[in-house]
Amino acid sequence: MNNILVRLILGLMLVVALSLSGTEIIAAPSAAEIMEQVDEYQHLQSAKIESKMIITKGPRKMVKEMTSYIKGADYGLTKFTNPRDRGSKFLKRENNLWMFFPDAEDIVKISGHMLEQGMMGSDFSYQDLMESTKLADLYQFTIIGEEKVDGRSCYVIEGIKEEGKEASYYRRKEWVDKERFVLWREELYARSGRLLKELQTKKVEQLEGRWYPMYQIIDNKLKKNSQTVYEIKKIEFDLELPANTFSLQRLR
Amino acid sequence: MKVSGVYKMLLVKLALRNLTRHKRRVIAIAIILAIGIAVYLTLDSLMLGLTQMSFDNLINLETGHLQVVKQKYWPEREDLELENLIVWESKLSEKIKNQQTVKAVVPQLKFAAKLNNGIDELPITGYGLDIDQAAQVFQLKKYIVAGSYFTDSNYQAILGKKLADLMELKVGDYLTLLVKTAEETFNTIDAEIVALVNTQNPKVNSNYVYVPLNIAQNALDVDNKISQVIVRLKYEEEVEETIKQLKKQTIMQEKELAVHSWRDSAESVIAMSKAQNIETGFMMGIILIIAAIGIVNTVILSALERTKEIGMMKALGFKKKEIILIFMIEAAGIGVLGGIIGLLLSGVGVYYLTTVGINLSALLGEQTFGLPVIGHLYGIYAPWHFGFIFISGIILSVLASIPPAYWAAKKDPVKAIRS
Repeated sequence: MNNILVRLILGLMLVVALSLSGTEIIAAPSAAEIMEQVDEYQHLQSAKIESKMIITKGPRKMVKEMTSYIKGADYGLTKFTNPRDRGSKFLKRENNLWMFFPDAEDIVKISGHMLEQGMMGSDFSYQDLMESTKLADLYQFTIIGEEKVDGRSCYVIEGIKEEGKEASYYRRKEWVDKERFVLWREELYARSGRLLKELQTKKVEQLEGRWYPMYQIIDNKLKKNSQTVYEIKKIEFDLELPANTFSLQRLR
Repeated sequence: MKVSGVYKMLLVKLALRNLTRHKRRVIAIAIILAIGIAVYLTLDSLMLGLTQMSFDNLINLETGHLQVVKQKYWPEREDLELENLIVWESKLSEKIKNQQTVKAVVPQLKFAAKLNNGIDELPITGYGLDIDQAAQVFQLKKYIVAGSYFTDSNYQAILGKKLADLMELKVGDYLTLLVKTAEETFNTIDAEIVALVNTQNPKVNSNYVYVPLNIAQNALDVDNKISQVIVRLKYEEEVEETIKQLKKQTIMQEKELAVHSWRDSAESVIAMSKAQNIETGFMMGIILIIAAIGIVNTVILSALERTKEIGMMKALGFKKKEIILIFMIEAAGIGVLGGIIGLLLSGVGVYYLTTVGINLSALLGEQTFGLPVIGHLYGIYAPWHFGFIFISGIILSVLASIPPAYWAAKKDPVKAIRS
C-alpha cells in the first residue's frame, strides 16, 4: 500500500515536473526566433527618418544631418541637409547604389571596392547600407548566454555566417533585449576572428508598438579614435511615398 | 645638253665659295639648325630611356614576360574580383615550365585590400606570391632597402618604402590587411613586415603589398586558386614564339586559359611614349621651321646681293636649273654644317644621359607627375636616329632653298646686269 502511495506521489511529481519543463520549452524562444523578431522590428515597410551623424576621426569631428526615405529593405533615398553637404544624395535600389554630388552635378554609381569605403567618411561602409537580407537568413544563430547591458536583461547570441551565403561579417555577437528585441550591443568579426566593429545602442524608443534604436555608437576597432554616432531625431512610419521617390531622375 | 663632271664641279665650287662669303650669316643659320637637331636627339634619347625603363619595370616587377590567365579574367583584371581564378596544379605548372624558352614560373594571386596601421586605412593592391619562385621571376630582392626577403611562408609581408613611410610602418612592425573573401566576407591578414623595397616603379613603392601565396589564399578563402601565372623567359625576343607554343597546349583549352604578353599590360606606357614622341617631334618641327625660314632668308639675301652675278652667269649660258642647283648646293652646305654641329651637341647630351643619367627622385622629389618610373633614368643611344636626323636636316635645307632660288634664277639677264 505504502509502495503504491509512494509510486503515485512520484508519478504525480514527474507529471508536474514534465509539464512545467514543457511550458519552459515553449516559452523560451530560439536564437533564430529572437533574431527574426529583431529583423522584424528593424524592418521598415516605409518611413521617413531625420537623423544626424557625428563622425570622429582622431581630433577631427564632422557632423552630417540627413533626411532618409525608406521603402522596405530594397529602396532608400538619403538627402544631406547640413550646410557643407547640402544637396548630396544617395539612392539605393535593390543591389545598386548611386550618389549625387551637387558640385559635380553628376550621378555616380558606387560599386566594387568603393562599397567598402566609409559612407561620407563615417564608420558605416556603403556595403553596410546595402545589406538588405535579413540576418536570420544569413547566419546560424545560437544563444550563448545572458547578460545585463545598461540594466536591461539581454540574450547573448552568436551568429556564424552560413556556408555559401554572402555576408560582410563572418561572426557576429548580439546582445538582444529579452523583452524589447532591440540590439543593445553588437560585435562584428572578420573570418580571422578579429573584431572589426562594435555597435552600442544608447537610447531606444517605443514607436507604434515596436522598440526602435534612436541613438547608436559605432566603433571601428581597426582604427584608433574612429567613431560614428548615429542619432535619429524624428521618424515617421508607414508613409505614402510617391512612386518616383526612388527614381534616378529624382536623384539630381 | 648633259652637265659634264667638270661642269658639275664648277657649280659645286661656286656654291661653296658663296657659302664662305657671309660666314656669320651661314654659321647663325647652321646653329639654329644644330639646336633643333640637338634638342630632338637629346629628348629622344631621354624618351627612349624612359620607355625602356617603364617596360623593364613592368617585366621585372609586375607582369614578367607572359601572363597566363583565365580568358574571362583578363578583361576584368583591373577589378581584382576573386572570380575566374585558375586552379593551380602541378600539371599546368609542368606544361608551362617544359617550354624550352621559359626560365621561371610563379603563381600569383592579386587582390584588393585595405592597409591598416591602427589609425588610418589605405586601399592597396595585394600580391600573394610563391616566395621561392617569385625570387626567380621578379627583382624584388634587388630593391630591398630595409630588412630581408621572406624567410618562410608564414605571416610575413614586403611593401614599398613610400607606402611604409606614409603609414608610419617599419621593418618588424605588424600590418593589417583588410580583405574580402570570394563570399564577400571581411577577413584580415596580420603580418610582420620583413622588408621594404624602393624600386623604380612608383606603383610598387606606393601601392603594393606582397605576402606569401598560401597566406593570401587562406585569407581570401580560395583554396589553391590563383589569379595568374607569371612567366619569365630566357630571352625577351622569344615572347611571340612562346605564346604560339603555349596556345597549342591542350591544357590551355581545357582550362579556358589565355596567354598575354607584357605588352598587353603596357598599353598606357606605349600610349604615353607615342604622345611624348609627338611632343618632341613638334618641338623639333618648330625649331626646324625657324631654321628653314633662316635658309630662305639667306638665299634671298644672296640672290639680291648677287643679282648682277646671276645675270652674268645667265648671259654666259648658265641655265635656270643650274643656277637653282648652285643655291641648292649652298643650302645643302648649311644643312651639312648645321647637321655636324647638331650631331656634336647631341653626342655630348646623349653621352651624358647614357653615362651619368638623371636622378628623377632628386629632381622631382616624392612626386612622380604621372611618370611610370622613379629613381635614376638613363638615356639610350640610337645611332640610326642620328643618321636619320642628319639627312633630314640636309633635305630640309635643300627644300627650303628651292623657292627663293627659283625666284632668283628666273630673272631676266639683261635687267639683272643693268640693275
